[in-house]
Amino acid sequence: MSGAARAQADIAELIWGKVILVTGKGGVGKTSVAASLGRLAAAQGRRTLVLELDAQNPSLNAVFAAKARYEPVEVQPNLFIANLDWLNALKEWVERVIPAKRIVERILENHIVQLFLDATPGNREVVTLSKLVWLSGEYDLVVVDMPASGHATAMLRTPQEVMNLFTAGPLHQRGLEAQALLESPTTHLVLVALPEEMVVNETLETYNKVRAEVPKLKISLLVLNRAARPSLSDDERALLERLSAAYPGGAEGELLLAGRWEATLEAGTASALDRLGQEAPLLPLIDVPRLAPDGGPERLVRNLAAALARSSSRALHPGGGR
Amino acid sequence: MIQPREVLTRRKLVVCVGSGGVGKTTTAATMGLWAARQGRKVLVMTIDPARRLANSLGLKEFGNTETQIVVPGLPQGGQLWAMMLDTQTTFDELIQRMAPDQRTADRILTNRIYRTMSDTFAGSQEYMAAEKLYDVMTSGRYDLVVLDTPPVKNALDFFEAPGRLSRFFDRRVIKWFLQPYEEKRSFNPLAAGTSAVVFKLLSFIFGKEFLGDISEFLVLFKDMYDGFRERHEEVLRIFRSPDTSFVTIAAPTEPSMEVAGFFAEELRRRGYPRAGMIVNQVHQCAEEPLEPEILLGQAARLTGADLHERTAASLVARLGAAHGRLRQLAHSERVLIQDLHKINPAGAFFVELPWLEQQVYDLGALGVVADSLFADV
Repeated sequence: MSGAARAQADIAELIWGKVILVTGKGGVGKTSVAASLGRLAAAQGRRTLVLELDAQNPSLNAVFAAKARYEPVEVQPNLFIANLDWLNALKEWVERVIPAKRIVERILENHIVQLFLDATPGNREVVTLSKLVWLSGEYDLVVVDMPASGHATAMLRTPQEVMNLFTAGPLHQRGLEAQALLESPTTHLVLVALPEEMVVNETLETYNKVRAEVPKLKISLLVLNRAARPSLSDDERALLERLSAAYPGGAEGELLLAGRWEATLEAGTASALDRLGQEAPLLPLIDVPRLAPDGGPERLVRNLAAALARSSSRALHPGGGR
Repeated sequence: MIQPREVLTRRKLVVCVGSGGVGKTTTAATMGLWAARQGRKVLVMTIDPARRLANSLGLKEFGNTETQIVVPGLPQGGQLWAMMLDTQTTFDELIQRMAPDQRTADRILTNRIYRTMSDTFAGSQEYMAAEKLYDVMTSGRYDLVVLDTPPVKNALDFFEAPGRLSRFFDRRVIKWFLQPYEEKRSFNPLAAGTSAVVFKLLSFIFGKEFLGDISEFLVLFKDMYDGFRERHEEVLRIFRSPDTSFVTIAAPTEPSMEVAGFFAEELRRRGYPRAGMIVNQVHQCAEEPLEPEILLGQAARLTGADLHERTAASLVARLGAAHGRLRQLAHSERVLIQDLHKINPAGAFFVELPWLEQQVYDLGALGVVADSLFADV
């Protein structure tokens, strides 16, 4: 598979870049992939920040046994996590324009102003992306755990929309900066998918949409999470089918069901790889195996990071220092 | 305890909530199909940009218009309709309906702030979903509407975003903006009082052009805001109505359970009627390990001459390992499901659907799921 071959160097290219945006359909493991990439980068000695956006209850908390807040906290050497909520980002932005803290607070406490800022189209997105621009200057690498693909695509489109809307002024300037960040050669979009038909559909939809609407943003990698590579030989599969017909129930039936369960997962992975290869032949792809569900999110991310590192040609090993 | 089938035969609106990737759309379609088979006229509404319901129903594409799905063998009166929300079209139709005259409607529809906000920005999708829901519910065209909600990272967005947009049309916001804009047309802080000072500072932060554009936009909307607010309040009333049921859909995974927990709490806080929970894709497996020797013996006999005994032995070894993994998965799912049980209110139903060997896409398969889902539990 040519996509997989090309992906060899891509993990290294990603973690030596400046910004990684991670998105995908809900429930595919975006946070785990973002956290894993963050771990790998930090292990290479890069000062890395992993960000969640406006999370009510940040998923990163469980992964790093810490509390992600607006101000980044260091959870491991070189690895920081934060929860970027747009209201704090707005406050910071306004404070930078108007250095008088008390006036800023008075303005932002105004009920009407709050209603207005809350409802103004694009405001949240631009303020959030502006803060991201600023953070990318503060860290070697920022990994963003983006919203699910539908909202993420809308967000990626915002800078251009805002620039169309306002041809000059501070918002135009913000849009310009955010767009420059998206178009930078060191910014990478990573899509995460699962080997399930509907997830693959949505992934391809997102891929095509982003390519059409934010054409200069690099879509650098697709991570096919929880993939099941074939383990049964053709003979074994044929035998499994024959036995299944002979034993529909009972203890034997259950053992055979387990086999068919894995065979189903393997077939799903094969067809997902096939479809992605056909419809997105230029998109580098890495598949990572299913990992045991027990052991908690922290261990899951550690194992996922190791799996991602294995697929890379450069010497990357989680925990290996500078 | 209320049965899932009672919900579908008695209620007028069923709202499916839950995280993405748990089979929410498929479950919504299943419910719609089942209710249609009981002789009700049903609309399944999805506002999901990924157009997954179309897949579930074996359709290639359907737009903002309500489309009838051909289902063989429905009883008298039973009909299944489906609709996929198109945010822009819904917003445009709404403006046409609410504008005091055609000229205002045309000016709004071509206003660049309007074009951008109605199409692009987060929240407009949820708002328009509520708007379309109002439209459909008050039309009286259907006995039952099944609403599939958009996948939200933030469970709160579903409830808050419509209000956020409706607040944009708040009388006070509009009045506040129109004051300096209409009375003075210049931002003279001495003449216009405190609000003008704030306004001036805001224009310093965001640019005069921006605030000017917003003001102009709001001027266009000023005769319509009461209508917007009324409709929004009506939707909230529909959500609270005893004719409505909220059903939380989950899968036995940690992130999905967390979102389900959030929804449970939000629904309770808002006083929305919680009918129950459906957990999809539950793996089942006996707790006891099996004795592979039994199978090995059978396999050896079955293989006959055309297959090596080695194939049988290696297959059986693999099956044993697969069974171990399945058992482990089933066990960890069981723990999660027990936690979910605890947050389901008393009297609400709790249904588990087993993992299926075949993925559910077409009407036939949906029908099979419907039968197992809505048998009395």
